[in-house]
Amino acid sequence: MRQALHILKKDVRHLWIEIAVVLIATGLLVFIDTPRAFWLSNAPLPQTVGATLVSYLLPVAWWILIVRAVHAETLTGDREFWQTRPYSWRSLLAAKALLVALFVNLPMLAAQAMIVQQQGFSLSAEIPSLLWNQVLLTVVFVLPVAAIAALTTGIIQFVVMVLVLFVSLMLLSMRFMMFAAAFVGGGWRAMEWIRTYYDLLVIAIGAAAALLWQYARRRTLGARVLAAGVAMVLAAGAPISWAAGFGIQSRLSRRAVAESAIRVGYNSKLEFTTRALIDRNQRVNLHIPLQLAGIADDVMVKTEGLVATIEGAGGAVWRADDHPWANAGSTGRLIALQTMVDESFYEKVKDQSVRVRGYLYVTLYGNPQVTKVPFGDRTVPVPGMGICAASAVPGAPYFLTCRSAFRPEADLVSVSFSASPDVVDYSPRRPISYSPFPAELSIDPVTPYVAYSTFKAPAPDAIQGRPLDAVTVEALEPVAHVRAPLTIDGLRLAQFEARLK
Amino acid sequence: MNYPIRTHALTRRYGGTVALDGLDLEVPEGSIFGLVGPNGAGKTTAIKVLMNLQRPSSGRAEVLECDSVRLGPSHFAQIGYVSENQKLPGGMTVEGFMNYLRPFYPTWDDALADELIRQFDLPRTRKLRHLSHGMFMKAAMASSLAYRPKLIVLDEPFTGLDPLVRDELIEGLLPRTENTTVFISSHDLSEIESFASHIGFLDRGRLQFSEEMGSLAARFREVEVTLERPAAIPQQWPATWLNAQQSAAVIRFVDSQFEAERTMAEVERLFGGGLQVAVNPMPLRAIFVTLAKAGRKAAA
Repeated sequence: MRQALHILKKDVRHLWIEIAVVLIATGLLVFIDTPRAFWLSNAPLPQTVGATLVSYLLPVAWWILIVRAVHAETLTGDREFWQTRPYSWRSLLAAKALLVALFVNLPMLAAQAMIVQQQGFSLSAEIPSLLWNQVLLTVVFVLPVAAIAALTTGIIQFVVMVLVLFVSLMLLSMRFMMFAAAFVGGGWRAMEWIRTYYDLLVIAIGAAAALLWQYARRRTLGARVLAAGVAMVLAAGAPISWAAGFGIQSRLSRRAVAESAIRVGYNSKLEFTTRALIDRNQRVNLHIPLQLAGIADDVMVKTEGLVATIEGAGGAVWRADDHPWANAGSTGRLIALQTMVDESFYEKVKDQSVRVRGYLYVTLYGNPQVTKVPFGDRTVPVPGMGICAASAVPGAPYFLTCRSAFRPEADLVSVSFSASPDVVDYSPRRPISYSPFPAELSIDPVTPYVAYSTFKAPAPDAIQGRPLDAVTVEALEPVAHVRAPLTIDGLRLAQFEARLK
Repeated sequence: MNYPIRTHALTRRYGGTVALDGLDLEVPEGSIFGLVGPNGAGKTTAIKVLMNLQRPSSGRAEVLECDSVRLGPSHFAQIGYVSENQKLPGGMTVEGFMNYLRPFYPTWDDALADELIRQFDLPRTRKLRHLSHGMFMKAAMASSLAYRPKLIVLDEPFTGLDPLVRDELIEGLLPRTENTTVFISSHDLSEIESFASHIGFLDRGRLQFSEEMGSLAARFREVEVTLERPAAIPQQWPATWLNAQQSAAVIRFVDSQFEAERTMAEVERLFGGGLQVAVNPMPLRAIFVTLAKAGRKAAA
């Protein structure tokens, strides 16, 4: 330990400029974020731009510090003075880890703690999120950078290797497309955290192994092969299907719900919506309304996906299991199997009695919590939304402005700007995650959300009856993720046939 | 006898190139062992393997009775290594560097460090990256002597230095080699012949010989035979007679296993009796050049 501290002291002395830049950038983050107006959406442009710049500047400042610290005792080659001095590799690695902990993690932890506290969140309640965010920051911003630095000689070689790894990763994998798909509504949506955490686990294990190996043995070629292997594993993506991912999610449910408790069948009341629509490409779009049984009235159902096998009486089979999230359409409790089959299959089975077997994947939302947010400057903690305030300016829409710390809640939220709380005016659309972890990776820990009415607040003299004094927010939390069996027998598709002309 | 450095069948390959080819070497304790050889002979590779900077492809090296691939902090605390290619932390001053190294060595001697800085006339406050090559080597040497290492390994320490700096380095090194073994590589024997006690000659990765300087000087002689009339060099030429040259009736060669009686008998057998034979001792530089030429001729 004494040697580690000795090396650390040397690094601090020699990297004071890099350390100062990190501390200044971290300070700027606090400086910009804490006094920023509560309603971030209305923050002055310089502050918004400043916050964005700092959130980019900070990782770059961290990377430069980490790379320079690792390169102070370059691990590649055989010409470095320290390689023939009584350095213990454990002390050397500990010195670098301490430097990162002291000048990357600790200041960031303090900065985020100050920001969340200043913005009205309870610091003690946010401690798990603060700590978990440090874990994520370390895995994403520190470990891979330190590992690549350990495999390179100078900053130019480092940049080249980062570019090579990044481009290879993008070219090698179709993940780039999936990455892009995430922005336009990839199928995993709120379960995407499973694939993200798989990637993080691969990065953490791979980068830590490369680092340890390089520090302990200084076998650069072997460590580079290991890094390339990690990149290939990442490019290959998580070896897990959507259905298996849902299985994991299901095991993490807050409430255990037996699969057999929910039954899914044909919704004969909506038979008129059943369609077998033949399009111009000789494909047949099936739309089969479904009915769920066994769900309590106060439980809200969100359809996540559906897999089904359609079997004709003659033995012809069609499997709709490629993209489970695309096979189900839903509006509230109105759920339908929506899939496309080949016309040849359709022609074979359309006059037969068809059987549909499969599973409907749903998330059940319950435990409703209603909060009234009074108009004015007062902020109110709102389950599912974080901390909120409401504003009413005559002639302008009613506003509900909220902010959450570290991660959005997975709750379904509805906002009512009417005197009657039953009238839902707004359901904020925001990315949600079923992740069980307390934080998502963030530099700026606070995220704002805004909901507003589609109508304008009346002038005081135009109000009829009792004036509206608060916004009502109802939040339902996800309580269970259930795979419910789907069974339909005796469906004759020909009777629902329609042709697109 | 103890051998702070010992190698057995040590081989190092780079792809298809063999840089070290089955090196068997023993460096006696307390000796100043010069490893000489032409450029590309494998001297630096041998030292890098000894210092665990590179792994052997096969064979084994022991340094201070430890397998070279297992050399750790406790061993390096007793080894001083200086190389012309070494990178020192350029951002540190000379004094800062010495102060930084101090806690790494239990045997660090502040007074000695101070004495070395003064003796080498090193500018204490100048950054290492701003030192001339000569000053840089002196700083490296001072930082490797200040803890009285048991073994000093110097890889081409005098290359590119002017004679004055070279002498300063030697004057700084020699008085501090008591109870110390020095292993020094050079491509120029004249650089080390004045103080080396043992010499190993490496050529194309193979050790041609390794022995004490005294016996080396004794067994090499330049022989000049003046014949009665010009004659061809006999075909049955002894393998230990190197670099034979003929000029009219005079034949010159270097006997690498000189023993007066045996050499004269062999001359008589090959050329006949009653000839004029001159035997001259050789400077080490001439021995080195002879061996290098003979090695290249054999390779061709």
